[in-house]
Amino acid sequence: MPTSELAQIEMLATVDRLIQQLKRWSEQSTNWKTAQQCQAVIQQLLPRLDMLRVRLESPLVIATFGGTGTGKSSLVNALIGSYCTTSGRQRPTTMEPVLIAHPETDLDRLGLDLSQFHVEQKNLDQLRNIILIDCPDPDTSEATEIESNLTRLQHIVPLCDILLYTSTQQKYRSARVSEELKEAAVGRRLIFVQTHAGLDEDIREDWRDLLSQQFEVPEIFFVDSVKALEDQLADRPLEKEFASLKEILSTQLGKSERLQVRRANLLELIQNAIDHCSHKIDSALPAVRELETFLKQQHLALTAQMSQELRTELLVSRNLWERRLISCVSDSWGFSPFSAMLRLYNGLGNLIASASLFRARNSAQVALIGALQGVRWIGERNQAQSAEDRLKRIGSFGLDDNKLRESQLLIDGYVQSAGLVTHQDHLSGSLEKIQTEAAHVEEQFLNDAGSKIDGIINRLAHKNSGWFTRALYETLFLSLVVYALLRIGKNFFYDSFQNESHILPIDFYVTAGVIFLIWSGFLVMMFTRKLKRGLSQEIYQLSDDLAQAKLAHGLFPHLEQECQQVYSMQHSLERMGGEVHQLRNEIASSKILGAWKVTEPTTGAGS
Amino acid sequence: MSSTLHEFSKIIHQLRDNLRALEQHTNQLDLAGLRGREWFDILERKLIPQLDDNLYLVVAVVGGTNIGKSVVFNHLVNQQTSAISPLASQTRHPVCLVPHNFEQTHDLVQIFQGFQLIQWSSPEDPLKQDEQHLLFWKHSETLASNLLVLDTPDIDSDAEVNWERAERIRQSADVLVTVLTQQKYNDAAVKQFFREAAREDKVIITIFNQCQLPDDEQYWPLWLNTFCQETGVHPELVFIAPNDRQAANSLQLPIYPRSFEPVSPETTSEINSEAPPANTPANLMQVLSQMQFGEIKVRTLKGALHYLIEPDTGVPSYLQEIKRRSNEFRSASELLSEQELAEIENWPLVPNTVIVSAVRQWWQEQREGWSAQVHGFYNTIGKGVLWPVRYIKSLTTDEKRPPMEIYREQEWSVVLQTVEGIYDRLTLVSELGNELLTNRLKSILNGTSREVLLRILHEEHASFDFTAQLEELIDSEMTFFKSDSPQYYTFLKQLDQIAAVARPALSVGLFFVGFGAVGDVGTQIVTDTMIQSVVNVSGDVAGGAVTTTVGETAVSSTAASGAGYLEAKFRRFHAVFAQKRTEWLATAIREHLLKTLPEELKSAVNLPDSEDFQSVQNSVSMLEEQLSQLRISL
Repeated sequence: MPTSELAQIEMLATVDRLIQQLKRWSEQSTNWKTAQQCQAVIQQLLPRLDMLRVRLESPLVIATFGGTGTGKSSLVNALIGSYCTTSGRQRPTTMEPVLIAHPETDLDRLGLDLSQFHVEQKNLDQLRNIILIDCPDPDTSEATEIESNLTRLQHIVPLCDILLYTSTQQKYRSARVSEELKEAAVGRRLIFVQTHAGLDEDIREDWRDLLSQQFEVPEIFFVDSVKALEDQLADRPLEKEFASLKEILSTQLGKSERLQVRRANLLELIQNAIDHCSHKIDSALPAVRELETFLKQQHLALTAQMSQELRTELLVSRNLWERRLISCVSDSWGFSPFSAMLRLYNGLGNLIASASLFRARNSAQVALIGALQGVRWIGERNQAQSAEDRLKRIGSFGLDDNKLRESQLLIDGYVQSAGLVTHQDHLSGSLEKIQTEAAHVEEQFLNDAGSKIDGIINRLAHKNSGWFTRALYETLFLSLVVYALLRIGKNFFYDSFQNESHILPIDFYVTAGVIFLIWSGFLVMMFTRKLKRGLSQEIYQLSDDLAQAKLAHGLFPHLEQECQQVYSMQHSLERMGGEVHQLRNEIASSKILGAWKVTEPTTGAGS
Repeated sequence: MSSTLHEFSKIIHQLRDNLRALEQHTNQLDLAGLRGREWFDILERKLIPQLDDNLYLVVAVVGGTNIGKSVVFNHLVNQQTSAISPLASQTRHPVCLVPHNFEQTHDLVQIFQGFQLIQWSSPEDPLKQDEQHLLFWKHSETLASNLLVLDTPDIDSDAEVNWERAERIRQSADVLVTVLTQQKYNDAAVKQFFREAAREDKVIITIFNQCQLPDDEQYWPLWLNTFCQETGVHPELVFIAPNDRQAANSLQLPIYPRSFEPVSPETTSEINSEAPPANTPANLMQVLSQMQFGEIKVRTLKGALHYLIEPDTGVPSYLQEIKRRSNEFRSASELLSEQELAEIENWPLVPNTVIVSAVRQWWQEQREGWSAQVHGFYNTIGKGVLWPVRYIKSLTTDEKRPPMEIYREQEWSVVLQTVEGIYDRLTLVSELGNELLTNRLKSILNGTSREVLLRILHEEHASFDFTAQLEELIDSEMTFFKSDSPQYYTFLKQLDQIAAVARPALSVGLFFVGFGAVGDVGTQIVTDTMIQSVVNVSGDVAGGAVTTTVGETAVSSTAASGAGYLEAKFRRFHAVFAQKRTEWLATAIREHLLKTLPEELKSAVNLPDSEDFQSVQNSVSMLEEQLSQLRISL
């Protein structure tokens, strides 16, 4: 297979893929109004693209386009070489469009509504590859009459592949025609012709300057249609300009060029639609950005508030800290007299705490009890569906109903101006839903906090209970025990036996017990104090960390998702737009055919 | 004649002043200003300068781009005053030929308002690219003494600023030398331009340029006929000129006079059967100079005046527009007033204990002399003895916050719910499709303004001293009660019992009142009713529901004595306090949420009844009267 043909096929595949992507894009479900409108535009476009693809192989449809009196009909007659469509001095002359085709051309395949046209079939060679349409003018109609030349024209233009744009010295700067051309040119190739060569002066330079602002202008022909027709009828040789125009239309737009033209048209239509949508989305995007910023701001405020609350509560809950620290140390020390002592104290403490935990609805305490225990506790709570407790808990975090309602109110406003549509009463969801979200957020936050607290406890416990400390406390603790034991032993084994002195009275044991209690209590107290060294700082650090930490989502996860989706839709549209631009650039600009400029964004939706 | 003109001039000046005054108010209606309205431009640019000036004629050459306006102009003034180019839309500024010494007796600036006047220096002057509207003027010795002749930019090219300049000249012109060609006589832009000219009753001289003679000799009457039918123009004189560029460039273009009578479409075929035309070129300037200046002037001035009072084009159309727009505003505000903005069930109630203690405190202040001292002593003792009890009690109960703070929180919650309800309702209204409201509500409903509102409300609410207000209320109510009823001793004795009384349920409605009374919307306008939010508090009070509205102070005391009376009395404290609070809410919402919307709507609705509106109407009818008298006298 020759490379050129391969390149063709590759190009076609790329275009097909693009259309597929576009189709998928237009079928995504979204709650954003602007995106929905854009999807509607794309969906309108898709069948037309299909039609163009079906028609890829049929003859090109070439239509005249230009102000009244610029010699559209004369030009068509001259191209055909006979009086085929009425040209005249009365304005407007052509009301019903005339369609001229070869008898062998299958008109039904074109998808044209033939009842709109006056159809002429001519057995001419130059008509084998093309179909000519002589159109009515766009500039005699005022306002929007229903049956005007302008509306007739607007029905025909979408079916054309190439526009033969005629103008004269008088009309080339006419505003109305230019405006119509702007609309009509998208998705079409253009051939520019200055007519009335016999009467007018050559203004092609100025015209080219004017046209170049919006169009690629390869060549402008300057022809005298009347003379050309007379020449043909009298069998005289044609003038050069006209001959080359005729040559282009009859032969150069043959099979090879046909594909090029149609593909370029197809791409142009896609680009126009995408540009239109991009523009629309871009102008509506700031409102969504605002919503997103507000969501983020809420998010930040939420974490800041929760960590603030957590910090104050953690700072207050001294007892819990101590118990956790002690149990951690005693676990790591294994069995020893002092650690046994610690465990005993801790056990007593836990006994009291276990009762208090189930009364407590303080989130910080839950986090502090320990991640494992806490989560289990929360789980039990959730299972019990005790909504009231949950509300109280998030309430203690500053997330009471009023706060939630406030943010709901604000979010509603932002959602509304962003143009997100929902089917619920409240754009941001019902209050209960937000409460549930708040509870989720809080849970997640507490999980985070719990594991971090565990870390702190471990760190503190290890830092403050090195071997020296352990040895010291063990020695101090044992010294009393050993001393007491020695005394008792000495009294029992030696004194009472050898010296026959009295055995120690019960008073002694009571005193010893009291001293033991005081001593061990003192040691435990000193030890816990030591353990807690640096705790406040750790708590501050922790709350700062938590305030920085990113929660997976805020109170309005579905809105966050919507925003994400809006962005992703915009990105994919932008990507497709870039692709089309590139494809259009790749198609080498034709030497004969003019077109709407690749870089020029279109204003309207196109025709 | 001049006295009549003077009379008109007076009315026109007055009309303009009145219109300007009215324009000040039309901003609220979202209406476009006076500038840019054809009739107002005519008033400003033609009637004002030309009614009280000495007679002169403004003749302008007008037409589409690149059809030889400048050629015709040069032929008219018989000199190359305006440069000719084969390219289109080159003449960008008008050129005016002024008779000798004309500017000493007339103010050119006044005649060509909105143009910057520059003395002509070369034919290339009008080709300058300049965003300002320039007008180049030049003396001509040969010009008749009361004639101003102008070349104008095109009316159909892609340079829209050209159209505007041409339109301005058309507005002040008396005679339009209309240049047409076979390509352009039926163009939409051209037709639109001349349709206006015809409505203003300008004198029109048509020149069919670039005719292919002799072939076109049979066509031009057809073309011109179409043109006349489409635009309503009736040309006074008709000329044709051949397509001869060489002659055009060297001022040699022959311009042949032709006679023409427009005919109805049915008889078109008869146009051709005219006598063979003469072929002696005419001198355009001569033709112009021979015209009846006075007659033409009167005709065009009358045309302009008629245009001004025409119901579908002139001032009446503007007044009509104001009325229509004002009606739209009325329906918008009716939409808002139709239902209450928000309804609040269960407005929170001040805890009974707070009221009781406030009443006790008031009572203590009422005691005098020895009695007060004794009671004060016992109270202090009581407080001291009971302190440990209270302290223990406060330790055991969960809520240690003062009851008023709890009330504050409850009230804030209700405020939020109310605001939410109002937003919902406004959203609903904004989606009903009344564009005026939708646009205004959009800014009220967006997130940023909601944030602002909430912040303000929160601040006001948080800084509010409830206790003080309650005390004040109790004071006024109790003083009234004391003087009114002898039973107040019993009342006080039973206060503690009362504290156990079930609380009343209060519901509050906030209304957006537009016209007339609540519930009587959409009927007659009551112009002096301020649009405002009205609070409607109703509590279900023992012995029947009671409604307190703003301004009403009468106590509802259906049950005259005993516990029933006291209960009612107690409920009244609640109701009055709630009313005070809702009044605050209503004012806050009006000030910070609705902002100026109610006033805007109201003044927009009332504009057609305003003095300014009336005086414009009066001026118009005066003008009408004068004009009809003129018709009789002529």
